[in-house]
Amino acid sequence: MARKMLVDGEVAAVADAGQYDYDLFVIGAGSGGVRGSRLAASFGAKVAICELPFHPISSEWLGGHGGTCVIRGCVPKKILVYGASFRGEFEDSKNFGWEINGDINFNWKKLLENKTKEIVRLNGVYQKILTNAGVTLIEGAGSLVDAHTVEVSQPDGSKQRYTAKHILIATGSRAQRVNIPGKELAITSDEALSLEELPKRAVILGGGYIAVEFASIWRGMGAEVDLFYRRELPLRGFDDEMRAVVASNLEGRGIKLHPGTNLSELSKTADGIKVVTDKGEELIADVVLFATGRTPNSQRLNLQAAGVEVDQIGAIKKTVFGGQQVKPDYGDVPCAVFSIPPLSVVGLSEQQALEEANSDILVFTSSFNPMKNSISKRQEKTIMKLVVDAETDRVLGASMCGPDAPEIIQGFAVALKCGATKANFDSTVGIHPSAAEEFVTMRTVTRRVSPTSKPKTNL
Amino acid sequence: MAAHATLPFSCSSTLQTLTRTLSPRGAHGLRRGFLRLPSLAALPRLARPCRRHVSASAANGASAEGEYDYDLFTIGAGSGGVRASRFASTLHGARVAICEMPFATIASDKLGGLGGTCVLRGCVPKKLLVYGSKYSHEFEESRGFGWTYETDPKHDWNTLIANKNTELQRLVGIYRNILNNAGVTLIEGRGKIVDPRTVSVNGKLYTAKHILVGVGGRPSMPDIPGIEHVIDSDAALDLPSKPEKIAIVGGGYIALEFAGIFNGLKSEVHVFIRQKKVLRGFDEEVRDFVSEQMSLRGITFHTEQSPQAITKSNDGLLSLKTNKETFGGFSHVMFATGRRPNTKNLGLEEVGVEMDKNGAIVVDEYSRTSVDSIWAVGDVTNRVNLTPVALMEGGAFAKTVFGNEPTKPDYRSIPSAVFSQPPIGQVGLTEEQAIEEYGDVDVFVANFRPLKATLSGLPDRVLMKILVSATSNKVVGVHMCGDDAPEIIQGIAIAVKAGLTKQDFDATIGIHPTSAEEFVTMRSATRKIRKKSADQVESKDEVVSKQ
Repeated sequence: MARKMLVDGEVAAVADAGQYDYDLFVIGAGSGGVRGSRLAASFGAKVAICELPFHPISSEWLGGHGGTCVIRGCVPKKILVYGASFRGEFEDSKNFGWEINGDINFNWKKLLENKTKEIVRLNGVYQKILTNAGVTLIEGAGSLVDAHTVEVSQPDGSKQRYTAKHILIATGSRAQRVNIPGKELAITSDEALSLEELPKRAVILGGGYIAVEFASIWRGMGAEVDLFYRRELPLRGFDDEMRAVVASNLEGRGIKLHPGTNLSELSKTADGIKVVTDKGEELIADVVLFATGRTPNSQRLNLQAAGVEVDQIGAIKKTVFGGQQVKPDYGDVPCAVFSIPPLSVVGLSEQQALEEANSDILVFTSSFNPMKNSISKRQEKTIMKLVVDAETDRVLGASMCGPDAPEIIQGFAVALKCGATKANFDSTVGIHPSAAEEFVTMRTVTRRVSPTSKPKTNL
Repeated sequence: MAAHATLPFSCSSTLQTLTRTLSPRGAHGLRRGFLRLPSLAALPRLARPCRRHVSASAANGASAEGEYDYDLFTIGAGSGGVRASRFASTLHGARVAICEMPFATIASDKLGGLGGTCVLRGCVPKKLLVYGSKYSHEFEESRGFGWTYETDPKHDWNTLIANKNTELQRLVGIYRNILNNAGVTLIEGRGKIVDPRTVSVNGKLYTAKHILVGVGGRPSMPDIPGIEHVIDSDAALDLPSKPEKIAIVGGGYIALEFAGIFNGLKSEVHVFIRQKKVLRGFDEEVRDFVSEQMSLRGITFHTEQSPQAITKSNDGLLSLKTNKETFGGFSHVMFATGRRPNTKNLGLEEVGVEMDKNGAIVVDEYSRTSVDSIWAVGDVTNRVNLTPVALMEGGAFAKTVFGNEPTKPDYRSIPSAVFSQPPIGQVGLTEEQAIEEYGDVDVFVANFRPLKATLSGLPDRVLMKILVSATSNKVVGVHMCGDDAPEIIQGIAIAVKAGLTKQDFDATIGIHPTSAEEFVTMRSATRKIRKKSADQVESKDEVVSKQ
């Protein structure tokens, strides 16, 4: 098999074939590591990848092929969001004529079992993807010995070394806990996705997407949920108007919000975990979830042995992708928060647009009662927003909070990335009846904002 | 209400912006000459600017005070008529009147209602019934997610219909307010054209400089024995009770949507189509996929069957006789066999308005009929029978006639949806059309089990398809059949209309986990059709061999 590699921007035959065990050694078989291995192998590289044995809850010695996304992130989270969403759907169905006589019961153990079955299946699929691609699978914890040597360790102390021309580090990140008394009583998202029992009362600390998603999940499953965050609104970094809508929706669904509040202490009682806040309030919870951020999983890699720089939180700096022929493009990356209802955005928030703008920006917003709610009588508005450069007419950002927002925003992300203007949007005929068509029918400017009057946001 | 509302962008600047290329690679999906609007003088058929001074903008088609009762009289307050009337009045300062019949769920020669088909007997009630009927599938899905019911949920048809009708009443009121707030005079009754500048409603005559016909269409059925026992879509949306066993004759979107509705509400559903497959004109793969998915949900399709007669038996049940056999035991037989423009008895023939053999009013690109002062938009012209298109036509008409800016509706890359279960969303060409037009086409297909189905255990699948011109790499068609397809396709439609390439799609990061992200992650062509280059290769060989 002819092996070619990109060396200093030029494709070169591997002159030093035999000098290294592998062309590429990947540490970590998550989304990035698997994609990198698979594609490298498809170009003819000899690739090995090491990963820890599978377990839903990660640890020093446990992980699994597929990584965070497949095993303890995107996939199980989405499954739980689906499961939790049914409660709201049952409520909505009544005014559409459905009668549910008797109890509706939610069996958490059954969902957990089916969820686990699916992630086990996907874990197997990922292993097959790698072996089918000709990648060598090695089990164990990888760390660096030097710039071309990886050491794979086992819990029993045994180690094995491998050399490689290139090493790819893709060990992902891990949930972190805040350092307060009683922190060992709290769980992280790993455990939350695999709880033995569904909590009746849940306390969540955090204002990011993970905190918000779990708040929606547990509330949908019938728990009482108290959500604590340090800022005035959750989801810092997102468009302020959208943050406010998300918060209002969470409240509308029965989640109790505690803005500007931190937790100061946890202690165990006969009745559950006693939670004390920095405002002196106390509550009792069955489960306390710390969703207070994730840190890069770089501590045990021995990066300094190879001279790899890390920043203060442990993230690896200055990655260079083979000859710099293909740099990842971080512009206009769309994303979603799977709260119920979800939020999805692409491009700039209003605040970001004002910071970067040279000319005025036009803001178009549409807030409406989705058609389904006209019958279900659920009091929950959908909000959609476009941020437009007044001079170039370019759509700088699009955001939506409402049912199906993530599915809807994807297509708009394609348009936005390619520089679509408001005129492009407006000249596109709507699909009727849908929520998405609102994005192509916003004719009236809600407000025009000049960059000089930048609102300082510290929410 | 200001006579001339300030637009955020002037119309001409909007048009100029439209020609901007989208990316360095160039998006040439916009027609050449898009900006070359003919001057008013160059359009022989448009009225010359009015010489009499009447109001601020004499050239906008407004008439002298006293010469006509109105600048515009619109017959029919549906999507097209309301949009045109409202815009003519608020944006362009015209004096407008609109006539519409009193509200009823079932249309007739005397009954209709503000909002028209879309609001009262089409898009809106249909979507509400789709929502209502979808729950049965969701109850089934929920089991795999841990939900159980002491007793199976039951559906009460009358609650659904009553709540639907309450919503329709509310919407009629909203449309009344919309028109009142726009300064449009509402006249209740059936309008009939008396002469090119006169409309009669309930015996009273109204003159107008321009008349707009927006009377829409009505369900049409063949004249076969027993047709009096058959219901149409109007009636189906307002039945007194849920059908136990229903025969739906028709293979178009209306037939499929009602099949899904009644099946979701646990009726026994049989669909009879004349063709081999449903949804003629749709992408072949989509046609196969949707009927397979619908069959898996319990709907029975009877293909290549033409209806010949319906008979009612003593027990009240109906039988449907086709060219092949007779099927009995139906509580209801519904025909969804097409819609016809509602042009009878409007005075059109007498005044000289040309119509085609289907009764559709013939119009030019500006929606003008064969009579200078009479115009028509929406389903009555039978161009593209979709509400957003009627809105586009109504707006373009108002701008042309009263805004002093001739504007043609743009029919390129119109997205549309079928709210079957699962639903369909599409924009651009089918695979067959793409091959016909481009010859060399790369076809990307994804057919997969969505995440929800791996847990629900139900056989639901999703089909997603991108068609790319192999020469230019432009995405010329996108199709999807699966949950949320209509919502997903909307954003994609902007990209297709703007002529974006497959590379543009691929450069966009996916939103994870969704179904939609599949559209930006299809890396390998499922098949590559080479018709054009194959022909070129052949002819080249010919030349060589001749030497």
